[in-house]
Amino acid sequence: MTAAGAAVVASRRPGRRRMHRRESAAAFLFLSPWLIGFCVFTAWPLLYSAILSFTDYDVIQDPSFIGGENYAQLVSDPKVLTSLGNTLAYTALMVPLHVIAALGLALLLSRAGRAAGVFRTAFFLPKMTPPVAVGVLFLLLFNGQKGVVNGVLSWFGIPGPAWTTDPAWVKPGLVLMSLWSVAASVVILLAALQAVPREVLDAAAVDGAGFWRRTFGVVVPMISPALFFVIVVSTIAGLQTFDEAYAAFFGAGNTTYGNDAALFYVIYLFQQAFQFLHMGYASAMAWLLFVLIMAVTIVQVVLSRRLVHYEGRESW
Amino acid sequence: MRARAGRKAGAAGVLALALMASGCAVGTGGASGEHVDYSHDRALHGELSIMGFSGVDEIATTRMDDAKKGLKGVTVKAAEGDFDLQQFLSAVAAGKPPSLIYVSRNQIGSLAARGAILPLDQCIDGEQIPKGDFIPSALAQVSLDGHVYGIPEFDSVQIVMANRTLLDKSGTKLSDVNGSDWDAMSKAATALSAHSGSGLSVIGVDSKLPEFLPLWAKANGADLISADGRKAQLDGPKVVEALTWAASIYKDQGGFGAVKAFRDSADFFGAGNQFATGTLGAMPMEQWYVNVLNDVSPDAPMAFDTVHARGGGPIAFASGSAWAIPAKSANPEAACRFARIMTSTQAWMDAAQARADARAKDGKPFTGVLTGNRAADEKIKPMTAGAAAPWSSAIAAMYTADQHTFSLPANPADAEFTAAMNDAVNAVLNGQKSPKDALAAAQKQAQQALDKGWAALERKK
Amino acid sequence: MVSTTALPRVGPATPSELAAASTVRRPRRPDPRRIIGRILTLTALAGLSLIFIYPFLWLISASFKPRGDVFDNRLIPRTFTLDNYVRVWQEAPVGLWLLNTLVVTVLAATTVTLSSAMVAWAFAYYRFPGRNVLFGLVLATMMLPGAVTMIPTFLIWNGVGAVGTLVPLWAQNLFGSAFYIFLLRQFLLGIPRDYFDAARVDGAGHMTVFWRVVLPLARPALAVTAVFEVQAAWTDLMRGLIYLRDSSTYTIPRGLKALIDAFGFGGEWHWEIIVTASVITTVPLLILFAVAQRQIVQGLTAGGLKG
Repeated sequence: MTAAGAAVVASRRPGRRRMHRRESAAAFLFLSPWLIGFCVFTAWPLLYSAILSFTDYDVIQDPSFIGGENYAQLVSDPKVLTSLGNTLAYTALMVPLHVIAALGLALLLSRAGRAAGVFRTAFFLPKMTPPVAVGVLFLLLFNGQKGVVNGVLSWFGIPGPAWTTDPAWVKPGLVLMSLWSVAASVVILLAALQAVPREVLDAAAVDGAGFWRRTFGVVVPMISPALFFVIVVSTIAGLQTFDEAYAAFFGAGNTTYGNDAALFYVIYLFQQAFQFLHMGYASAMAWLLFVLIMAVTIVQVVLSRRLVHYEGRESW
Repeated sequence: MRARAGRKAGAAGVLALALMASGCAVGTGGASGEHVDYSHDRALHGELSIMGFSGVDEIATTRMDDAKKGLKGVTVKAAEGDFDLQQFLSAVAAGKPPSLIYVSRNQIGSLAARGAILPLDQCIDGEQIPKGDFIPSALAQVSLDGHVYGIPEFDSVQIVMANRTLLDKSGTKLSDVNGSDWDAMSKAATALSAHSGSGLSVIGVDSKLPEFLPLWAKANGADLISADGRKAQLDGPKVVEALTWAASIYKDQGGFGAVKAFRDSADFFGAGNQFATGTLGAMPMEQWYVNVLNDVSPDAPMAFDTVHARGGGPIAFASGSAWAIPAKSANPEAACRFARIMTSTQAWMDAAQARADARAKDGKPFTGVLTGNRAADEKIKPMTAGAAAPWSSAIAAMYTADQHTFSLPANPADAEFTAAMNDAVNAVLNGQKSPKDALAAAQKQAQQALDKGWAALERKK
Repeated sequence: MVSTTALPRVGPATPSELAAASTVRRPRRPDPRRIIGRILTLTALAGLSLIFIYPFLWLISASFKPRGDVFDNRLIPRTFTLDNYVRVWQEAPVGLWLLNTLVVTVLAATTVTLSSAMVAWAFAYYRFPGRNVLFGLVLATMMLPGAVTMIPTFLIWNGVGAVGTLVPLWAQNLFGSAFYIFLLRQFLLGIPRDYFDAARVDGAGHMTVFWRVVLPLARPALAVTAVFEVQAAWTDLMRGLIYLRDSSTYTIPRGLKALIDAFGFGGEWHWEIIVTASVITTVPLLILFAVAQRQIVQGLTAGGLKG
């Protein structure tokens, strides 16, 4: 009798409840780190920041209750709208490019055989660079007059735009810079690609499917869980983008670079919290972001039920 | 298994509760310091932790040595790096703020309004700090609601720096680019600039927006904020006029984007700087840049003048740093004495002498230093006599400008006011808004922030 | 979409399958299309690698240039100098920063890998009431912007007196991280239950199963987790900004920011210093990664039949 069979038989016997309890208890044991962490570092801070969002608090003095004033201000603050718009536009541009780039690189790497390791190191290099340095690099390499990017474009006769100053090109420039750090997604997708059994590809080839059909009709659905993961994670990351843009456009002594086009939501939040000392308002802003991210992710999850193909295993 | 799990749950719960309880936030308290004895002859001990002072040159180290000598018995520890507000906040929240901080003067207002720093009246009396020695505009920047909250250090003023060769070539006079005649300056911008295939090859005039908007506004006769720091005045017609003109300087030369990109790629601090390479006609710039130019490109064809008000005499928009004492400072007496010595005439003279000696060794002229302390400035000025032209005219311009400074008075919402102002200017420069609309929006934002800040201050009283 | 019923099981191969596969001889047909495809692939990869590496090469070459040359965009410096490295080493306790960052990174990576594996294992294998809801909650925390909990978390650490130490930079990893829990859970779901059931039927206790069966099987995913966390911990700026005060406790990103403040925009635009510091702080991680790369590759190939 197989283990599964034994379990089925056992479930019909009175010992079933005991077995479930033992399962639950064991599960609880393994879950305990997360549960503790959740209570202390998530639930409590969430509650407290919700309370804070109804106060005026600057860390130096006690929080003072001001009711819904922060939220009222949130709705009427033009910069909130601007920064939200910037963030959404950036994310909408970045995520598809990110996924395509990651998939492309992963596909290439999966066919590179033994040489893949060297290339993978090359792609992971940028991830090791501190974001502060990346932001500064952006300013230097994308400079409208002397930057390398425009230099290369000029080889093809394309007059490069002023990436660092022209409001219309700041976000695309930042998106391009963000593609530099695509390695994490590449690794995930590569692992997923390599888990696709050869038989599947061979079967499709035998069926006469060409390269594109094989890739998009067969391989992509097979790795769709990983793709979904990459999409969700990069969306969440995009909505919270901060480090590079802050270092490039809002760092120390950087007033001449302040560009509304690069004012992302978290940057504005950070300014409110740590430059203007409105922690209460910043908490309200943070909650708005939270709700937004939840909404977006839920939409993605709902869509995933239709599009993501799990290997006969658990879905949600 | 169950029992163990149960106990685990209990332990986890207790731990969580304990952490939650300790995590209850309270403010760490506002200003105190009522029972401090600032007598100047009192012997001091203990430790003095300083945050925000990162000076490494002779001007800084000489005075530091003087201060440490004057504080015998106190261990002085200066943290590295410029003043970082987050770092300061986290130190305050942890109940262990530094004993003394060194901040930009335009940060004093909001720190004072929140009770993060102590009013220094007692300190000034006890240590007998000569308040009258300091430049009035500097004091105005560090005084809120009738109390002084900072001891000013350094004064940074603008002077006009121009490329003599480019001026001569296009027949432009120095007075055309010093701001006394705006039409002439616009014409000079076009005349001095040059374009090549890929964009600008010479910037004619740089009006240095957004930082210098207050300068141009004042040159046009407008103050951006009322003297008591309560009312923002960003949308007045004279301010709109000033912004329109200063922005048009860029437009006339191909747009701000082109100018900025070209400016960014310049080797600002090196031998290939814009004046040395003849790629900039004229601009107002803080006086410390004279030292840089003198260092890296002593042969650049320079001409200097003070910035002039429109149709008027010299003006300069002053800024600088200040020493302030955090509310829960562990050693306010030592902090006060340290600040006194650092800004004392004697220390400044020692520092200037050290700098002059170092420059003499390199065969370079000593170009003076603006200390924010009038008495010290007067003593140091004669030390600069050895400089040759054109640097002597720079020094002359610098000291003249120092006599005609103005500043934005302290207010509880410094950062937001500046941000609103910069946003307006950037919006205009990027072609997103008209000057009138941009400044109107900024006015609304700034006034709102000011109102909130003053209301919070009143609540505290 | 391809039907799943006809497909063999995905995941690590059983020994019998491995044996079977090795006995099948596939005739070697030198397919010209494949060779061309290979060449194209490698060329494309080489080109892309160059683009990815270039900014870094620019950084390295700039670090050997004197100040005025930093922006001349030449890859080979016109004037080669080591002064910058000397200067950086003198100006800042970079060695100490490297050490601090190493400590934090190692602690962060090991704790998060272990704890996330534990939690992921609970979700992947055990059946208990409310499992899906709880997992949804885990995922929801992934959506939580750091900004929301930043201030209260600081107050917690402040309450236990840990502000100013390196502890807040890694200790939260003792409790797992939603991202890695998600990642590991997905991976573990790809392994057939039979493996684990078999071990348990054999009488092994829960912890034993976890240590002896689950962890070894999950090695590729664990390696990936560790590498990602190493990268994240090494480059984390925000926590350093909030919790560290004394420059002797700084981590690399925090130290780099201090240098930029002192020498960059706020200072006198000593870009050659900034650039050099960036190189110094990135190289160790590169070496680490280059070494760990081999482990990952080994892990991935040991984990199963890649076809």
